[in-house]
Amino acid sequence: MFTNYFKTAFRSLWKNRLFSGINIIGLTIGISCCLLIGLYIKHELSYDDFQEKGSRTVRVIMEYSFGENVTKGNFTSTKVAPAFKKNFPEVESAIRLYDARNVVKYNDRLFNENGFVYADSNFFNMFTFPLLSGDPRTALQGPDKIVLTRSSAKKYFGDENPIGKTLAVGSNARPFVVTGITADCPSNSQIKYNMLASFSSLGPAQEETYWNANYTTYLLLKNEASIASLQSKIPAFMKKEMGETSKTYILFHLEPMKSIHLYSPYSGFEPNSSITYIWIIIAAALLMLAIACFTYINLGTASSMERAREVGIRKVLGAAKNQLFYQYIGESFLLCAISLVLSILVLLITLPYFNQLADKQLSIISLLEPVPLALTLFVLGSVSFLAGSYPALVLAGFNPVKVLKGSFKNTRSGLFTRKSLIVFQFVISVFLIVCTFVIQNQLHYIQHSKLGYNREHTLIVPMDQKILDNIDAIKTGFKTNPGVLNISRAMNPPTKIVGGYNMRNATMPEDVQINVKANPVDEEFIKTTGLQLIAGTDFSRQDILDLGKEVQEENIYHYVINETAARQLGLTPQQAVGQKMFLGNHRPGLIKGVVKDFNFESLHTPIGGLVLFPEPRGATMLIKLSGQNMQQTIASLENKWKELIPHRPFDYSFLDEVYNKMYSSEIRLGKVMSLFSGIAILLACMGLFGLSAYAAQQRVKEIGIRKVLGASVINIIATLSKEFVILSGIAALIAFPAGWWIMHKWLEDFSYRTTISAWTFILAGALAVIITIITVSLRAVKAALANPVKSLRTE
Amino acid sequence: MIQLEKIFKWVNAGNNRTFLLKDINLTINEGEFVSVMGPSGSGKSTLLNIIGMLDEPSEGSYHFLGNDVYKMKEKQRSQLYKENIGFVFQAYHLIDELTVYENIETPLLYQNIKSSERQAIVADMLDRFNIVGKKDLFPSQLSGGQQQLVGVARALIAKPKLLLADEPTGNLNSKQGEEIMELFRQLNQESGTTIIQVTHSEKNAEYGQRIIHLLDGRIEK
Repeated sequence: MFTNYFKTAFRSLWKNRLFSGINIIGLTIGISCCLLIGLYIKHELSYDDFQEKGSRTVRVIMEYSFGENVTKGNFTSTKVAPAFKKNFPEVESAIRLYDARNVVKYNDRLFNENGFVYADSNFFNMFTFPLLSGDPRTALQGPDKIVLTRSSAKKYFGDENPIGKTLAVGSNARPFVVTGITADCPSNSQIKYNMLASFSSLGPAQEETYWNANYTTYLLLKNEASIASLQSKIPAFMKKEMGETSKTYILFHLEPMKSIHLYSPYSGFEPNSSITYIWIIIAAALLMLAIACFTYINLGTASSMERAREVGIRKVLGAAKNQLFYQYIGESFLLCAISLVLSILVLLITLPYFNQLADKQLSIISLLEPVPLALTLFVLGSVSFLAGSYPALVLAGFNPVKVLKGSFKNTRSGLFTRKSLIVFQFVISVFLIVCTFVIQNQLHYIQHSKLGYNREHTLIVPMDQKILDNIDAIKTGFKTNPGVLNISRAMNPPTKIVGGYNMRNATMPEDVQINVKANPVDEEFIKTTGLQLIAGTDFSRQDILDLGKEVQEENIYHYVINETAARQLGLTPQQAVGQKMFLGNHRPGLIKGVVKDFNFESLHTPIGGLVLFPEPRGATMLIKLSGQNMQQTIASLENKWKELIPHRPFDYSFLDEVYNKMYSSEIRLGKVMSLFSGIAILLACMGLFGLSAYAAQQRVKEIGIRKVLGASVINIIATLSKEFVILSGIAALIAFPAGWWIMHKWLEDFSYRTTISAWTFILAGALAVIITIITVSLRAVKAALANPVKSLRTE
Repeated sequence: MIQLEKIFKWVNAGNNRTFLLKDINLTINEGEFVSVMGPSGSGKSTLLNIIGMLDEPSEGSYHFLGNDVYKMKEKQRSQLYKENIGFVFQAYHLIDELTVYENIETPLLYQNIKSSERQAIVADMLDRFNIVGKKDLFPSQLSGGQQQLVGVARALIAKPKLLLADEPTGNLNSKQGEEIMELFRQLNQESGTTIIQVTHSEKNAEYGQRIIHLLDGRIEK
């Protein structure tokens, strides 16, 4: 029986090659999306699963307040780990980590290292990062010890054995002895490091206090179940530690380690994902699969006429309804199985690119694990069943007497279902097109809006105290290059100024303060960044020299503020110049100039008050280039750098790239949406193509008659396309409000945003209709050109 | 074998009720060869479909081999049908996707007969109809007469007691038609298969032992 079913199925698939092809391609795309997203989700859900003690490990979140605002974050102070270990019997072990950047040197190899993590010596006991060589108990015991990952060992030592060798760390080249090598961190690890240095090497961290919240603390509990009971003891304990009367308070919250990546608002060592995001992409994958299934259902029912005779015969030969049902389900199973095999091939080809794009190490082998395998087979089964059951039901329900007597014409039954499914497919497509358009508009807005400063041809280089001490000579050295226009040192680049300060004018009482952002800069900052002064004058070199006095309060500061800050002080830009103001309580000074407002934070936040002040501090060097012979200029700057600043690598980036990176999640969203809408449109079109081909086939006699009566090719195409164009129009009308609403919500996150114009909808709608017409025409033209004599004779 | 009593069949079109069959009372005994004649629209095919259990009357009762057909459960009726009735059509109605061999085999599949047994039965039938050489061809590769031969072979494969034929020679030339009719006669006389055929041709009707004339849904006396 099965061989007979299989044979018929295979032969009828072959006979209707075009439609089978459409179905197989559609299902292959849908299933590939699902498999790829499945692999990705599996990876996301597996975060920290490899940690053997992971279920007993918690991260400590700090919450504190000095009166008004409550701050909460993934930082803790040095005392938390020892105090909790000492006072709570539930805690088996506690560890502090500090994620830093450091310059690291070995012989002539010099790199600026991210992921230079300081860790307490029990690191290898708490976490499952096996050492390839070295002793896990002593590797991080005592200061100046360092453990490398295999790739960082290779980077510095090549094929040499690194154990026992020393690396020079930081601007003062402090020697660290290599005591161990670990494997590279798995990509599903929330803790990521390239180098692990002993925590005891951190000088200032040796003092145990609650007030230096720079570290991450993890606790290993004796019992997984004791999280809640431990949590409930913390408030009372902290009250005791702080003193009963204190107005300030500190609290700690415990987060299970395995839930950090998807559920915590506070990042780990890398940005978190979120469970919402996971649900969104699951929904996207299911939508793709649904579109493919709908195509199958549509083509299946539309073509049911062709199979009707076979159904009738089989019924006359004694087939029961359920036998026929299973036969056609079997056919859809065969189709899905072929698609699944093709999907796996597609995955094999695309996975390396995806891994590169998403910086992941997904492997197709993991599909063979029990749960993914079961899920894959479940998807295969359910798709075959869902897509196959409706056409199968329609087919199995045919009345043999009618079918075989030839009085059976394509009934209207199933027509509504088919139309609804097409509309649904197009709703999804148009919705995604609208979203893509709006996101691209906003990205264009982000990348091209005038921010109030010039971000072109500007290099940004991190700097340290050693460079700062020698800044004048270094600036002079670089400026010998004709391609360099200006050089400025500042605490933050203009893309993102983060320093929080308070200001007040002379008439405000001391306990009334206005929160502002402020940035220590030098006299070239405004020139380098191209800020626009609208009142007063720029900083001079003298302004910096004025701050040389030992007692801070005796110095007279000069300030350049932005318009918003002037307004907050109750002044127009012109009035503000020359007025007295304070930044904090220790910096009395005069307002020297006012600059036009510029976006010194992400476009998500409105422009606030900003103060620029010439304090000789800095972590960033900005180098403005002329824009000519960039490569040459940069190469000669690098040579100069090696000569002037041998202790650091010349690690530069471009200011506009740094700016764009602030929106990497939006850019990624834009790419993902473009991809999904492309796939959705492709799938919907294939379905539409198949259906219109059937329609043309069925109306062949009508077309013949119309032609004999004098209809032109264009008339015929219009006749055939009309119905589908109306359907895609309806779909567009349904998709518009949904797209508008979602995108409106998304844009609300930006303080500076593009508007959703009517053009977006007109374009999206027109696109859908045009695509419909083109798709339908592909077959309609052929039908319209056919010789009517032929079609009328065959009837 | 077949007892039809007071069979009425009508369809409603708008407010009008059109009668396809009116008060049919008919008894057919095992081993008979009956021809049903009548002009187009006289209800011949409807009667044949009702006898073949493909269609149900609006009123009346039907006993087949002593079973009251309309009081049986669906499953039992389908079993009764499968084991005892074979159909031959004017348009042959072979399954295009299956070979001659597979077409003939199909009814056996629905009776859950084991594969080895099926092979033997089908081989026998191919032999008997002299179409062994055509067994791997598809219907589109055969002439009309050959297709109908396959159609008859398929109808007989499950050894039915009753063979129903709806204008079996309608699409064939006279020589082919004669061959099929000879085959029917032989079946009826040698194997005792009861045959009911619908036909337009006086000549073919003569092959039957009894002729029933239908006019406007009634049996003419």
